[in-house]
Amino acid sequence: MESGVLMGESRMSESVIEACKLGDRDAFRQLFERHKDRVYSVALYFFGGDEATAGDVTQQVFLKLFTRIGQFHGESEFTTWLYRLTTNACVDEQRKRRRFLQFGEGVEVREPRGTFTNEDRLVKAEVAESVKHAVAALKPKLRVVMLLKYFEEMSYEEIAAVLGLSKGTVASRLNRGHKILARKLAPLRGALVRAEQEG
Amino acid sequence: MFTKHYKKQLSAYAHGELSQHESALVASHLRSCASCHAEFEEIRFGVRLAECLPSVSAPEKLWEGIESAMASEEFRAGQRNSQARTRESAARTRETARLPAPRLSGGGLLPFFAGRRAYAYAFAVACVALVAGGTWFYVRSTRPTWDVARIEGAPRIDSDSIGERGRLGVGEWLETDANSRAEIAVANIGEVEVEPNTRVRLVTTRMTEHRLELARGTLHARIFAPPRLFFVNTPSAVAADLGCAYTLEVDDEGRSLLHVTSGYVALEAGERESIVPAGAACLTKPGTGPGTPFFEDASEEFVEMLSKLDFENDHTVLDPLLASARPRDTLTLWHLLSRVGGDERARVYARLAALTPPPEGVTRDGVLRLDRAMLDAWKDQLEYAWLSESIPAVRRVWRKLWK
Repeated sequence: MESGVLMGESRMSESVIEACKLGDRDAFRQLFERHKDRVYSVALYFFGGDEATAGDVTQQVFLKLFTRIGQFHGESEFTTWLYRLTTNACVDEQRKRRRFLQFGEGVEVREPRGTFTNEDRLVKAEVAESVKHAVAALKPKLRVVMLLKYFEEMSYEEIAAVLGLSKGTVASRLNRGHKILARKLAPLRGALVRAEQEG
Repeated sequence: MFTKHYKKQLSAYAHGELSQHESALVASHLRSCASCHAEFEEIRFGVRLAECLPSVSAPEKLWEGIESAMASEEFRAGQRNSQARTRESAARTRETARLPAPRLSGGGLLPFFAGRRAYAYAFAVACVALVAGGTWFYVRSTRPTWDVARIEGAPRIDSDSIGERGRLGVGEWLETDANSRAEIAVANIGEVEVEPNTRVRLVTTRMTEHRLELARGTLHARIFAPPRLFFVNTPSAVAADLGCAYTLEVDDEGRSLLHVTSGYVALEAGERESIVPAGAACLTKPGTGPGTPFFEDASEEFVEMLSKLDFENDHTVLDPLLASARPRDTLTLWHLLSRVGGDERARVYARLAALTPPPEGVTRDGVLRLDRAMLDAWKDQLEYAWLSESIPAVRRVWRKLWK
């Protein structure tokens, strides 16, 4: 049953991709709607919350995708191909915008204030905001791996396929990413525990 | 002579990316290596932080920009090249398979239905059903699930017999009748064997927490994971795995018996917590929560008196209980320190100190005011006495007390 369902989903994707290859605008739109939020999320967090850049990169990714979709022959998963385009677009854009290389060197971490009884939503948002800045301050190679893990929920093997790395390298980069986050955001430990308890 | 450390594998371990064998090695190492354990705690905190990042929705206006770019000559030229390659390929395929050319939007499909209103309605209904079905299948297929294997009989998930194998989704119940048993793969951090006449539900499964609910019956859990990653809710307490193997039984009245065979388990309900090491057991009762843990080789009388103290509030048994305590029963006495007050606590302290004197720095006054650091320091010393051989007698006591 499960494999049948997955096969059905996969066939649906295949038919949409085939229609895109033949220039069907509705199929393009369908593909865009299905993947836009994840592509945009990766770009947004890659650029430290810069919405304008994230929007530009998302548009670039889909335009590139629609122009080159004829070159996709299904040797790999479609999502592997899509996120390879996404991560390449992010890295290319960053090269153009050198200023991001210095971004976040001194991430300011504030212990969220508030009593949690009435403000737990605010505290959670503040924790998320600090994490967002800390992720943006990671080296690009660590940041990309973290974003694919946490937004695409990819396995190490899938991340390795997207980035052309070994699983060991993916594991090592995630290790470093987690440690950097934990050290930079150590003052948030108490706030995180309380936010989790608040559910 | 040289210890193998696992620092490079700690994220993979936290994400459940290691094989069961590798996970078991890392879990075992973490229990004995303070350096790797500290690093693992740091990585786990990093994982929890990263999980805080909320996903965001792309702005609606993005499509407009894409559409206008698609209308540009440059884009159309690029696309024409791409389509030409695709058409050539499709033509070759059709020729081989003798299939009709596909009809896409803007083709002749809708005009065919235009003169046949009934067909048009039927088509619309079929489309709606297809979308609804697709959505349902998509949600179902992307929901996290655990593998379940039949051991014997006909275990069921939400009333459907699973055959040889099944998938247990979040919110679904696995039930066994008097003749059936099943084994659940807990993500990839361990397994749970489900005995006959048991009802168990998957509450949640994510990187930092895997949780089952045991409504009634018996399960045996073997977990190869860091502490506090796997939990079992029962009607009277929550069993938190601290890296171990254990059996948990729940009867029809919601009372439970925990029996630990390896490592440690914490039983929790509100502020009350019992730490149960290998060879020990603990009873729980709705309204009271976890009782005081005891070793299975304790005498039947000792366990009966403890049960009266825990669940019947009968404090007349305290002195005979203390008098009959052996060095190994310091597990029970140490827990009692925080469960009785005033003069009773002083009597428990006296007996505990007589059996195992407190280590340097742990004072009577500090213990009587329940100084956390002093209690923990004493517990660390007592643990040597707790980790000796045990003789199973708990089932006999369980039957006598609850049945």
